[in-house]
Amino acid sequence: MNALLNWFDDRTGVRKLLHEALYESVPGGARWRYVWGSTLVFTFVVQVITGFMLWSAYSPSTRTAWESVFYIQYEMTLGSVIRGLHHYSAQAMVVLMAIHLMQVVIDGAYKAPREMNFWLGIVLMMIVLGLSLTGYLLPWDQKGYYATQVTTNIMSATPVVGAEVQTLAQGGRDYGHLTLTRFFAMHAGILPAMLVGFLALHIYVFRRHGLTVHDPKHAPDAQFWPDQVLKDAVACLGVLSVVLMLAVLRPAELSAPADPAVKFDAARPEWYFLFLFRFLRFHAVEALGLTFGAIIVPGIIMGIIAVMPLTERVLGRAGHFLNKAFMWSLAVGVVVLTVMAFYEDANDPGHQAALAEAHRDAGRAIELAKSPDRIPVDGAVALLRRDPFTQGPRLFAQHCASCHRWNGHDGRGTLVTDALKPGESGAPPVTPPTAADLGNFASRDWMKAILVDYSNHFRWLKNASWYSAAKEQQSKGESVEFLDPDASEMADWTSGNAESLKSPENADNVTALVEFLFAEAARPGAELDAALVAKGKALATEGNWAGALNGTSCSSCHDTIGQPFPAEVDESSGNGYPTLAAYGSVAWLKDFIRHPDALRHYGAKNRMPAYSANQLTDTDLELLVRWMTGDYPKSTVADYPSMLERIPEPK
Amino acid sequence: MTVTDSNQPAPDSPADSSAANCCHNPGSCTPRRSLLYQGLTALISTIIVAIPASLGGLFFLDPILRRQKSSNSSQPGAAARKDENGFIRLDVTREAVPQDGTPVSVTVFDDIEDAWNRFPNVPVGSIWLRKVGDGPILAFNSICPHLGCSVNYRRAENDFFCPCHTSAFALDGKKSNEVPPRDMDALEVAMRTGGKDDPAGSEIWVKFQNFRRATSERIPI
Repeated sequence: MNALLNWFDDRTGVRKLLHEALYESVPGGARWRYVWGSTLVFTFVVQVITGFMLWSAYSPSTRTAWESVFYIQYEMTLGSVIRGLHHYSAQAMVVLMAIHLMQVVIDGAYKAPREMNFWLGIVLMMIVLGLSLTGYLLPWDQKGYYATQVTTNIMSATPVVGAEVQTLAQGGRDYGHLTLTRFFAMHAGILPAMLVGFLALHIYVFRRHGLTVHDPKHAPDAQFWPDQVLKDAVACLGVLSVVLMLAVLRPAELSAPADPAVKFDAARPEWYFLFLFRFLRFHAVEALGLTFGAIIVPGIIMGIIAVMPLTERVLGRAGHFLNKAFMWSLAVGVVVLTVMAFYEDANDPGHQAALAEAHRDAGRAIELAKSPDRIPVDGAVALLRRDPFTQGPRLFAQHCASCHRWNGHDGRGTLVTDALKPGESGAPPVTPPTAADLGNFASRDWMKAILVDYSNHFRWLKNASWYSAAKEQQSKGESVEFLDPDASEMADWTSGNAESLKSPENADNVTALVEFLFAEAARPGAELDAALVAKGKALATEGNWAGALNGTSCSSCHDTIGQPFPAEVDESSGNGYPTLAAYGSVAWLKDFIRHPDALRHYGAKNRMPAYSANQLTDTDLELLVRWMTGDYPKSTVADYPSMLERIPEPK
Repeated sequence: MTVTDSNQPAPDSPADSSAANCCHNPGSCTPRRSLLYQGLTALISTIIVAIPASLGGLFFLDPILRRQKSSNSSQPGAAARKDENGFIRLDVTREAVPQDGTPVSVTVFDDIEDAWNRFPNVPVGSIWLRKVGDGPILAFNSICPHLGCSVNYRRAENDFFCPCHTSAFALDGKKSNEVPPRDMDALEVAMRTGGKDDPAGSEIWVKFQNFRRATSERIPI
């Protein structure tokens, strides 16, 4: 064995090399304050290991990037841990780098003869930040996509060559396949290779000048092995434990697949760039322009750091003091701005709503991708585009929420509010809905409310301006047709028969009629009581109630109740009463949204705008209606909470 | 590995097993640590690299570790082309296969699951179909059992032939030279009417399978 080692040493000089590497003198003894450089090298090693592994499963294109990351995270052995390690080690690297830099400045390790190594360190810092930036885009999720858009747009603000820089980074005018291939080449090839090269130089120069000793009299001198190595290794173990714990307990996030057509209001840079994000949002900074805030100011800061060795050389002790003061002020500034950004976001209902939507979309995308049908060839983004659970709320908010509400909100979990008047402060007032809340549309509750609680169910109409205008016309004795929740034939029927409807002798009948009406809506997956449905149908068509109600049937006005909704409607049909043929079903609802003013619906009483295919395409109508009627694969993703209690009652 | 340093006394001197107080001679400090101390350092250093490396290694072994999944779906495919036993209905019918025993090449369609994607009803392979008079329909996977090239029909020689390494087979699939390790891979065929077994039916259903190459045994992949 020894002979073999001697042979090997003779040819390679490995013993001398090891000796030099391990028996570096540590004046003043091994200390915990010297561990930061080693932890940085260690996190880089972790990044290389996990990065190569992720590379073995990652596929850079706009239709496979999110999909392959999804596969890594949710399907592959330890995929979530490997991705988590990579994700959190990247953040650890930035934190450790900041500590390392602070310490170098505080201990004056940048002073002659170590200026060159200080500059090498700054180059390394730039490379690491470049790695963070390029890595953030690679999952091609909404978060990475929109955050990186901001960065490449900042690049375009570079004086003179901005547009060219941006085009080069993106691989074209817009984001696409080539953006990913280029970012990936930077992230996994070019930048790591540069990092290795500069790191080698950094360590070589460091060894040439030796450690910057903080306090030579702290303890007797020691040697790198094993004294300092043990401290370094323990520190690395600490870093690894924290990163591993985070990776297991808080797996790295994967937001919804990137979709340029879907706004992402929750976009934020990675937390260690939040200070810059917040800085750019100061009105004074905004007023000076993007180039000033995003390029000139960071450039000046980096410049001041870079010339620190010269500052110290020219100004001596005062220069060192100035450098330290600058670093401390910078650190305080960064912390304050970061805390501000977090605090403001936490207290911004708009941002919180955007986050809620982002989580809902992400959860849904992952849920659909896990389904037996897997991901189609046009990518996970198409899964969401075709999904009523995802698209319905957006279409509702866009087209319906100016009058209707969905469980009190606009469909997307946001209260509809009025703008604050000048001089007012606090939460903006909730805008009263002027049409029915459709959150429980065509459910048993909905059907029952119409039957026994009609005026109350449609009370929101009384908030509408057309309602007060019609009331006023009416009070002047003018004839006006409108839907009055308090005084329509239906309202009269329910209020006039309230006692009988709510009497115990009709309790079973009401349940049966509700079951029948609910069956008519043909909700997918609804469990129905067939006997009750049959009994309800007889009530609707024959009116065999108990007591005073006996003889009043639905069909005496709504003559098509119980019939299927016609495939082709006769435009002249209608008897002045809304058709209840397959009321609440997909077919009924589609027809109603297209023609609420048709004779078969509300006719002259209608106040709802008719949505033609020019306003709401057939595809969108299909998605909206399927969402409203619950016709989509069920979701385990938490839906928006009800906000009904926050809606003010009509006067 | 023990690194010996000529400047130091032997590291296993019992005199300084204490880690806290390292120096014999405060004037010219020559720190010495017990083997235990050095061992501990080596151990922790090994652990911090071994943890990410072994996690990464397990991740890389995923294709072997994960539960075996067939690349072809096991579920009945689109438009009920595939039954629960893996038989797939072909586009051609009994009548379309030449009466004189000339083989015809037919593409087989199925759903493919490929990692995160699912491709419904796509070509998954091709087979040779052959009918002898009114006798049974024979089906062979067109992949050569030798090394996976495609077996062609040679009209002049009236046999099957693989141009890559000259494997040759008779029309009944028997190998006719020593290049291939086994006969062509015959596939199970079922004649059906309306999806129901019927020896006189004209629908051809084939249990399409690929087999490992370069072995004399037929081992489904």
